[in-house]
Formats: sequence, C-alpha cells, structure tokens
Amino acid sequence: MRGLIAGGVYIPRFRLSSDELETAWGTSHAAGVDQKAVPAADEDTLTMAVAATERALESTSVDRAAIDTVAAATTTPPLEEGDFVSRLVRMLDLPANVASTTATHHTAAGAEALSRALDADGTALVIAADCPEGDLADSDHPFGAGAAAFVIGDDPAVAIDDVAWHSNETPGIRFRERGQRDTESLGITTYERDAIREAVTSAATSLPVDLETATAAAVHQPNASLPYRITGDLPLSPDAVSAGTIVDQIGDAGAATVPIGLLSALDEADDDDLTVGAFFGGGSATAVACDGSLSVPGVERIDDTEPISYSTYLRERGYVVDGDVSGGGANVSLPNWQQSLDQRYRLVAGSCPECGGVTFPPKGACQECHARVEFDEVDASRTGTIRAMTVIGQGGAPPEFAQLQQQDGAYTAAIVAFETEGGSVTLPAQLTDVDPEAMAVGDTVRATIRRIYTQEGVTRYGVKFTPINDGER
Amino acid sequence: MRDAYVLGAGQSSFGSFPEETYLSLFDDAFDAAMDSVDTAIDPEQIDEAFLGTLGVGGRQIGLSGPAVTEHLGLHGVPTTRVENACAASGYAFRQAVTAVRSGLVDVALAGGYEVMTDASSDHTRWWLGVSGETEWERTSGTTFAGVYAQMASAYMDEYDAEIDDLSRVAVKNHGNGAQNPKAHLGFECSLEDASAAPSVADPLNLYHCCPTTDGASAVLVVSEDVAREHSDTLVRVAGAGASSGRVGLFQRESLTSIPASVRAGEDAYESAGIEPSDLDFAEVHDCFAIAELLAYEDLGFCDRGEAGRLLREGVTDPDGDLPTNTSGGLKSKGHPIGATGTGQVVEAFKQLRGEAYVQVDDPKYGLTHNVGGSGGGVTVHIFEKEGMEGSA
Repeated sequence: MRGLIAGGVYIPRFRLSSDELETAWGTSHAAGVDQKAVPAADEDTLTMAVAATERALESTSVDRAAIDTVAAATTTPPLEEGDFVSRLVRMLDLPANVASTTATHHTAAGAEALSRALDADGTALVIAADCPEGDLADSDHPFGAGAAAFVIGDDPAVAIDDVAWHSNETPGIRFRERGQRDTESLGITTYERDAIREAVTSAATSLPVDLETATAAAVHQPNASLPYRITGDLPLSPDAVSAGTIVDQIGDAGAATVPIGLLSALDEADDDDLTVGAFFGGGSATAVACDGSLSVPGVERIDDTEPISYSTYLRERGYVVDGDVSGGGANVSLPNWQQSLDQRYRLVAGSCPECGGVTFPPKGACQECHARVEFDEVDASRTGTIRAMTVIGQGGAPPEFAQLQQQDGAYTAAIVAFETEGGSVTLPAQLTDVDPEAMAVGDTVRATIRRIYTQEGVTRYGVKFTPINDGER
Repeated sequence: MRDAYVLGAGQSSFGSFPEETYLSLFDDAFDAAMDSVDTAIDPEQIDEAFLGTLGVGGRQIGLSGPAVTEHLGLHGVPTTRVENACAASGYAFRQAVTAVRSGLVDVALAGGYEVMTDASSDHTRWWLGVSGETEWERTSGTTFAGVYAQMASAYMDEYDAEIDDLSRVAVKNHGNGAQNPKAHLGFECSLEDASAAPSVADPLNLYHCCPTTDGASAVLVVSEDVAREHSDTLVRVAGAGASSGRVGLFQRESLTSIPASVRAGEDAYESAGIEPSDLDFAEVHDCFAIAELLAYEDLGFCDRGEAGRLLREGVTDPDGDLPTNTSGGLKSKGHPIGATGTGQVVEAFKQLRGEAYVQVDDPKYGLTHNVGGSGGGVTVHIFEKEGMEGSA
C-alpha cells in the first residue's frame, strides 16, 4: 500500500479581499471567495513549490538523498519552455538521478503528478504550485496562489486506496492560448457545469469506497460555489465538501487548489476518516480516496496574512510594471551564476583544511589565513543574524532591481551572519516578506529561495531572508 | 631611494558640465597644474604619465590615458591608465611617486578624470554599482550608497551613534566647499537641513552622500633637482602607504572599519616618520558621511567610536586641531571618481603653499586619504613643506 508519508502547504502572505476587488471593479466575479492569496513580486510557482516542499520534508525523517521520483504540477511555470523541475531538484538538493516529470496544461495536473508518484517505486515527491493570471476585468478575479507538497512512499500515514479517471473532450471551459498570459473561460455556464459534474461524478463513483462515509472531499474549486454544484449527483455531504474547500480563503490556485484542499482536510481528519479528492481540468477528472490523517505544516499558517489594496495587488503581480532592464544589468554571467548554485540555494561554505576558518563563497584564498587551499564543504545554518542593513528606496536600486522595487517597494539589503561548524560567515542578501522599518541590526532571520532578478529573459533565483516570527522554530 | 616632490597641482572646476568632455576637462586641470608652478616648466620635460579613471559611462573604455595625453599635445609620452575605482588617481599618484623615486623619470604627470552627469539615470545607476563586489554584493540589490549605509547601520548599532553625527560631516564640508569656487556643491547647509533630507539608502540621506560629478585634476611629481629649479616652496612626498582589501564588505573582518585604510595609514605614517598628532590638516575620502567617521578612526585621528565626538567638538573644523576636508571634500567639492585622488593632492599642495581657499595657519604636514569602492583599495599620502635650505 502506498500513500502519503508527509505533506506541506505554502500560501503567500498577501491577501486581496473580494471587497477590495469589488471596490476597484464595481463587481466581483469570484463567487464565494472572501479573499485570495497573492504571490509577492519575488515569488512564483518555483519558489512556492520549494517553500511547501521544505515544510513537508522538515516534518518527516525522509532523507532527501533517498528520493527516487519528483513529479511537479503547475499550469503557470515561470517559463513556457525551459527549466522547471530541474531547478526544483537543485533548490531542494535532491539527487541528480531522481526521476522527474512536470505535469501541466490543465488544473488536474496535480492528479497526474500524484498518480505518477503512486505508480513509482520508492520515495516520491509530488509538488503542485500555481498562480494563474487572467483578464483583470473578469477572469482574474478569483485567481489566487499557493503550493502543496506530498511525500509519497510505502507504509504511509494516509493510504491512497485508488485513483479513478474519466476523460472527455469538453473545450472552452478553461484554456490559455499559446503565448498568452490570460487564462480564459467562454462562460457557457450550463454546458461547463454539466461537463464538469459528469466527469467528476464518473470518476468519483468509480472509486471502490462508500462516498457517503467520506468526512471530507476536496473537489475542483475554481470558486466556492461550484464544488457543491458539481457534486450534486454524488452522495457527498455538504459538510464533507466544505471541509475540502479552501478556495474561499486563498482563491483559485489552479492545479494547486485541490491538493491544498486535500492536505488541509487531512490535517483536520481523524485516523479512520475517508477523504476524497476530485480533480478536474482539460476535460479529465481524477478521483482519489485517502484513508487516515496527517499533520501538515503550513496549514496552520493559512490564516497568517497581510491584507493589501488593489493597487498593491496590481504592482506585486506585475500587471502594471514593465519588466525590461534599462541601463544595463549586473555583469554576472549565467555560467558563473550556475557554478554558485550550492551557495545561492544551500549556503554551502568552505572550511580551510589548514586553519579551520570558514570562507563564503568558498572560492579563492581562505578569508582567515589567506592560504590558497581546497576547501572542505560545510553547510551553514539556515538561520542567521543581521549584522548590517540598509533600505534601498525608489531610485537607489541598480537597474536589474528597478522592477522589483516598482512592484514591491523599498527593499532591505542586509549583511547576514551564519554559524557553521568552523565559525561564522557573512553574506549580503535581501530581506523579503517584511516591513523594512520593522527590522534592525541583531534580528534573526531565516533563509528562503526567491527570484533575485531577471536579465535577458532568464530569472536568477537565490537566497533571501525572512524574519523569524514568534512561535516558529 | 631619492625623494619625490609635488611641483604643481591643479584641477578643473568640479560640477556638471554637459558642454565638456573628459579630454577638455583634463586640459583645464593640466593648465591649472602648469600655472601653479613658480617658474614655468616646459611640458616637453614630462617623461611619463599615470592617469586614473573608472571610465563611467563607457565612452573610451580602452586607451583613454593615451587619448588624454595626445589631446593635450604631450605627444608620444608613455601613458598608463590606472583603474582602482574611486582610488584610481590616488594610485596613479602613487605610480608617479614610485617612478620618480626609482630614478627612472624626473618629471611625471599624475592625474585623473571622470564624466558622470551626461548619462540617463538608469545608465548612471548601472555604473554606480560596478565597483561593488559583483557576484554577491551587487546582486543583493546594492549600489555604493547601499554598502556604505550598511556600514553606517553597523557603526550606529555598535557605538550608539546618531544621525546628527553623520550630518555634521555635511555641515562642515559644505561650509568649507562654499568658499571653494571650483566646488560642485558650493553652498552651506544647516544641521537641520542635513538631518531632514530625503533618504537615499537608510540610514543615509541625500546630505550624507556625495554628488556624481564631472571633473579632472593633475599633479606634477618631480625629482628634488627639478623641484629646486622651478619652485620657491618645496612640497615633499614624505610618506606613501597603500593597501588592498576584500572588495565585498561582507568578506571583511570588520564592518565598522576599512582595514585597508588602517594598513595604508600605518605605512604612510611610518615612512614619513610622523604620528597622526603631527598632522596640520587632512583630506579624507568622504564619499558618504560614514566614510569620514571611519577615516578618523582608521587613520588614528581618534579612538574607535570617537569620530562623532571629534565632529561635535569641532576638532576637524578649519579652526580646530586637525582641519579636515578644507576643500569641501567629496561631499561639497564633488566626486568625479577618477579625479578625486589627485584632487585631494591639489588641496594639500595649496595648503602647504598657503594658497588654499580655506587656509590653515602655516601648516607643515598634510595627509590625503583615497578609498576605492567600499575599501578594496586605499592610498594614503603625507606631504611636508620644506624650507628651501632643508634637505630631504
């Protein structure tokens, strides 16, 4: 029997309320959505995927070196073509020989990824992350963001009994043309609802379980009313559907919504509870039956939010900012950047075999004794202390950071000290997810991976630091 | 080893001059340097030239040094362009001193030039970040203001310093620069103005930052024989120190000191055979207000954490024990990157000859301190006024 060993959820902290949306547009096309999660300017599906997966891995004893398969799901990879899962492999320090796949193209991609992991041998990761975009006046209204990660293996805490499928051609329900940013729907209401209900009903009734006994059901939820309507032909109680519905708090997070709803339901479930997942996308429905419960880190922080205005929303999401770098960007070549990924993602420092001093980055002569040595690799702690900091206001940023500043406002550039076995090292990095005014020299911060800057179409990712909140480890 | 002397020194006006080029600005500086010599010297006597520039804006990236000397009519003179960011001409001057001391040349031209105000604001910001450590410091989103602001934050945290301690640098240096007709920002400012200015990189505000400036400066470095032949007042290069440091602030052992300044200062004092207390004036590298505070401490003007007190007590005012940045400093006189190092020498030369705009009473020893980037390269020079009968 295979199933879930661990899970993790990450939701960006910004929330746009539907009241703000309605004030901006005079109407809201986000039925039942109270508020939606908004990724910050330096977040995307990759960074959210990493954040959710780190939470999942921290909650289990699974060794990341022992992971055999990684299956990612998203409808909004940062690049339409290019590196996605390979970046996750480096950012998460997974073994290079991990079998990988990216499911995309529709909102049921998470089911495809989950199925791949269940079919595989050994330990597998499933990561669903999404942040769809749409026409601001209409289809964008319900679109939120978030990520869910599942660690799949044998002898699980939550057994996944079966996966059932139903596929039919039902065009026009949700699609994005090649080269376009906006996800669209033709809005043929009855046709759409009937098609989804038929597919979900067919898949769910194929499961070898008694649906009446389900205590929770995470069902395809582009808004908060549809899950009830498309399960009308199923013996699922409204309470069960409610327990698996998360869209009202985070918005429609594309391929990640049902996975997040599923994990949030499992976090609330008892050990002998049945939880059902029902995905729909691109004409296909997939249903899964889950037995058991699981404590899922990140679920408890879904309510840990910061409300934003509609204008901030437009800026953070980049709807109103031109992304071109004007005046020239930093002269760091991609080959050089690529060579430093262990430092930028994992803070790998160098220990001097002669004096024991630590050097970061571990290149050139030892910073302590100035000898030219072959460094031994040492991992720095993921938490550090601010030794110096400045707030870079409008106009003070190098050109490649002008876009970030236009989107996210003034940012804090700090020098952060980290402890390693051989002593402390310092590195310069930005703080993120923080009010610059609230930070000071001496504060402790935690490493995370975010977008650093984009030049010539290629986004560089690397370490930034977030404040450590009360009650966190 | 024989001694090197400063025979003449001059600068163009510092400011924003859309009608000028780096070539025409250096013409002005060179003419001023030649005019400052008591008994005219033939330009054909110049054996070699060392010219500093970062090359802001790109323009003539390759071979700008020879372009300058050929434009001047110093035809065929071997010319080396020196690049050490804001310390470019501090190092060019050091090269000239070394060349004369070695006996290889009798007359060397040292100088620098920079044009910084003719590019778009985006392009200018790109250039202002090129001398920080590129792979980590720059990509954390900082330009120079940000890196010095980080030093200021660490300094203020360590010593409980206040914004006014930074602002007093601006008040003093603007007070001096207001009397210097060649200064870029030749106006006075009050402590209130200096502390209430808009933020550039917190905690540094506009008055804690030097301007971007167009300008050039030139110095004639000569042997003792040449100096005695052409000058009534001998200005000897009594001490020379220089040191490198890690280019990135985060790579250094201290965030509240520039270690290369300490090393360069110690070497300069030792080679001149004097102590900081022997100095009569100093020109220090005040690209940002915090840099002047650090300079006081790194160069031994006071103990660690005492720089704010020096400013409060007026020790570095023109009528204090150690007048500092009587030219207006980088803050008021301006900071045309490559021209700054030899620009400081111009002020030292004028002070020792009694020709400064803010004149110190009969000085004997003066110091110049030039910092590249946030401390990757530093030069310190000490100058001594000799009587005509004095020996080296």
